[in-house]
Amino acid sequence: MRWVYVALGLGAAVTLVPFVWLIRSALMQDAQMFVAPPEWIPDPFQWSNFTEALTAQPFGRYFVNTVVIAVISVLGTVVTCSIAAFSFSRLRWRGRDAVFAVLLSSIMLPYAVTLIPTFVMWQELGALDTIIPLTVPSWFAGAGGGVLNVFLLRQFFLTIPFELDEAAYIDGASPWRVFWTVVMPLSRPALIVVTIFTFIGTWNDFLGPLLYLTDEESYTLSIGLASFQSMYITQWGYLMAASAAVIAPIIALFFFLQRYFIEGVTLTGIKN
Amino acid sequence: MRRRDLLKLGALALTGACGSSTQQAGRDVPLQFMYWGSTFEQKAVDKMLKAFEQSKPGVTVKPLFTPDEYDVKLNTLVASGKVPDVGYVPMAMSFRLAEQGKLVNLFPYLSKYPQLTGYLDDAYLWYGADKLHGVATANEIELLWYSRSAVAEAGVTPPAVASSAWSWDDLIQNAYRLTVDQNGKHPDESGFDPRRVRQFGISCSITYAAAWYGFLRSNGADFADRAGTRCLLDSPEAVQVFQNLQDLIYKHRVMPGPGQLAATGDDVPGTNILLKTKRVAMVVDGHWSLLDMNESKVDYGIGVLPKYGEPYTTSQVAGASAVFAGTKHPEEAVELFAFHIDPRYVDLYKQGLWMPQERKYYEDQTAIDSWTKNDGHPPEFRTAVVDYARDHGVPDIRGRLKNLSAISADVLTPALQEIETGKRPAAEVLKEVTPKVTGLLQGWQHTQEL
Amino acid sequence: MALSGQKRMERRWGWILAVPAILGFLIFTAGPMVASLAFSLTDWQIGGTPSFVGVQNYQDLVRDELFWQSLSVTTYYTLGSVPVALIVAFAVAMLLNQRVRGLAIWRTIFYLPTLVPSIANVVLWIWIFNPDFGLLNSLLRQHGMWIYDEGTAVPSLIIMSTWGFGNTMVIFLAGLQGVPRHLYEAVSIDGGGPLRRFWHVTLPMMTPTIFYNLVVGVVGTFQVFNQAYVMTEGGPGNATLFYVYYLFRKAFRESEMGYASALAWVLFMVIVLVTFLLFRNARRWVYYEMAAAR
Repeated sequence: MRWVYVALGLGAAVTLVPFVWLIRSALMQDAQMFVAPPEWIPDPFQWSNFTEALTAQPFGRYFVNTVVIAVISVLGTVVTCSIAAFSFSRLRWRGRDAVFAVLLSSIMLPYAVTLIPTFVMWQELGALDTIIPLTVPSWFAGAGGGVLNVFLLRQFFLTIPFELDEAAYIDGASPWRVFWTVVMPLSRPALIVVTIFTFIGTWNDFLGPLLYLTDEESYTLSIGLASFQSMYITQWGYLMAASAAVIAPIIALFFFLQRYFIEGVTLTGIKN
Repeated sequence: MRRRDLLKLGALALTGACGSSTQQAGRDVPLQFMYWGSTFEQKAVDKMLKAFEQSKPGVTVKPLFTPDEYDVKLNTLVASGKVPDVGYVPMAMSFRLAEQGKLVNLFPYLSKYPQLTGYLDDAYLWYGADKLHGVATANEIELLWYSRSAVAEAGVTPPAVASSAWSWDDLIQNAYRLTVDQNGKHPDESGFDPRRVRQFGISCSITYAAAWYGFLRSNGADFADRAGTRCLLDSPEAVQVFQNLQDLIYKHRVMPGPGQLAATGDDVPGTNILLKTKRVAMVVDGHWSLLDMNESKVDYGIGVLPKYGEPYTTSQVAGASAVFAGTKHPEEAVELFAFHIDPRYVDLYKQGLWMPQERKYYEDQTAIDSWTKNDGHPPEFRTAVVDYARDHGVPDIRGRLKNLSAISADVLTPALQEIETGKRPAAEVLKEVTPKVTGLLQGWQHTQEL
Repeated sequence: MALSGQKRMERRWGWILAVPAILGFLIFTAGPMVASLAFSLTDWQIGGTPSFVGVQNYQDLVRDELFWQSLSVTTYYTLGSVPVALIVAFAVAMLLNQRVRGLAIWRTIFYLPTLVPSIANVVLWIWIFNPDFGLLNSLLRQHGMWIYDEGTAVPSLIIMSTWGFGNTMVIFLAGLQGVPRHLYEAVSIDGGGPLRRFWHVTLPMMTPTIFYNLVVGVVGTFQVFNQAYVMTEGGPGNATLFYVYYLFRKAFRESEMGYASALAWVLFMVIVLVTFLLFRNARRWVYYEMAAAR
């Protein structure tokens, strides 16, 4: 097993570089950040980057706003995407694959050209300046880009032995029951993936909040971050410090959720 | 969306042009002001808006702070007819929006608001005879920034007065003295290692038009002919300017080539940091760097650019400010427009990010002192910036040539990058690209005296 | 008869459970898509009124040098980055699926590059690519120009993109949890070693996940945008003029939404075609449990 640790160590040395770079930059004065060749130890440690950056914008309020949007989106996406994926993978109905193909096509058109019509649509619906455009689509199987999650879950659902469904149906179960008692419990790793991706996606989304929110009270973290970087000026120390602070919650989230990537105990017991 | 909706969308966009109403003073007047900027600018703008609200009872201004992706947001707002009342407009969009009737023609307001007539001639953005859609938000010119300690070490003194500007040969000579590799050798000494340069003599962008346009004009060349329909970049004078720039990198080795500063098109890491770390001794960059210089406490000095013939620098290197058509309160909006670039109410002039557009701030001593007599403006500022801008500024082509943003993105920048990578001489590249540019030219924008 | 009852039930429930997704598409997605298709048939500069021009935009596009340039640059990038990304992500996922101490920490560390904001990443990579002091040149003892040379710009961006393997890796990691243990045991009983277990169990059982990552990788890289946007601005000399970056410039710098929409729909058709071929080809190598049930 020693080789595993060697490989992990080597890999970690490489993958830690960007993060260490971010942290060292967050603790440096602007001038030292760009010294050539680069330096790794801040001198002096510029802790004030954190305090000053995080008070330069109302990050506390932005944090709450962002959490609200992220939580609503994650819930909606996980629930409705798994229901849809169940239908597209484990129930047989006419036109199923064609419908799926049409849904999937929505991720193949660059968003730049649907941006304006989508905006006009929300305008006609009177939903501008609210978080509705940022959250409601996620409750319709993540309409738009979220259809990726349906595809992902579909692929996972397809790896679960069909005998399990058959057995349940023979016992008189409804598809809904099969979904809840057979498929969902066996798909925890995939559901965690969707949770992580959706959360991070919403957390980092800049364009959505920028377009749909006009009240500075309701801005999100990503807009706060962008304000350190303008047309002519970048406040590097603040930008790096605030960036590090903003990704801390998602690192923690990943750390706690990855534990569900362990072999589904239930699967080991299944034999034909 | 059906065809009808498509038309509706168009109609929606059109109605923006026809909004009209007369508003009595004293009633509730809500305005929206859209702008970009750093947290620094955000503070200054918020303060300015508060001052405006206080000076006009009944008026409230909602800021629409858009730190990034400004053109995406503005395009979306234009398409959906939800534009603000007053705001910044990227130069590439402003003339277009004006021609489409999306911006208020300010010409009729000139007689009512005399303040509007006091700006520098070059500041005005005309889109036809007696059609004025705004002014450049701030006056910005290109300067020669330098590290005081670096030039002192080498015994070099960049001139701060236009009349004693360096010739190009002077520049090269001084740049040699300022360029040092890690063993302390200069480029004209044997054993100089161009891969291990500790301090470059000079840095000047080849791809950024404002950086070289002053040189072009100084050498008697121009970007296009008088009609603005034929590109002149293949003229011997223009070729000379670009060949000289290329030579600074590859022949004289006093200027960093692509990637050597760890820089991208986004101007990473920034002139203040280049000078502070002495990666470069002298940098050609805009006046707006002054704020950064002071913020990061750089030991800097300001000089004028080298000249060929008449000394010139590019001026009006900024975005536009305008009043949007469809505002329900045009009078108040125009007043806010004048207010937001008035040095009396905006801190950004004293802090060094902006230079005033009103002429008196370059001519009247008290007015000049009001924005330059402070810690943020070094002693040479008067001659190297104020006088230089007033007497030697030539307006940036981005605010003067039609269709330039498309020309620049699709044709010109890739060609200039070829000059920058040094694979082919400037003459060859320019000869090839000039007819392509000519094919896309649509003439100069209209200009007129007030 | 029970089976046909089940079939009827599946048919009915199938539609019902698909309704939210279908509604979502019809309400939020279909309209804007159709609108953009309509725009592609107009001469529409944002701010002006769209006028119908038929297929004029599509004809212009065929004569547009930059259209072809951006299409070929993007295809090059896709062909280069997708296989590399899949292999790296799969290998790392296998590694992180071992029973080792501190697994949570190892996994988090390997996922970190995905979480670091792009601007910090860009500044780092500019250093890595620096011709004088850069990490790559020091390691290789060479004087490569990386993103600053037309010839090496795209490969350099491919190398850079590989660091973003985290998401693909996580999907593989989740997929690995679904490989039934008894299959491994069966191979072991037959005297097979780790290599055999990999070829005969892991790989076939992972094909649905591999397929997902392949499709998503292709769809995503054809729309690659960010590196050109924040790092190279399409340069030098249009060497990294990614398709969507070019489209974005037309759409929001020039406000030429009609032309941009035509560009978008051409890319759409390219991606649909490639995805269709991938799906058809998938029948030959992707192993679904469904096959037995059908």
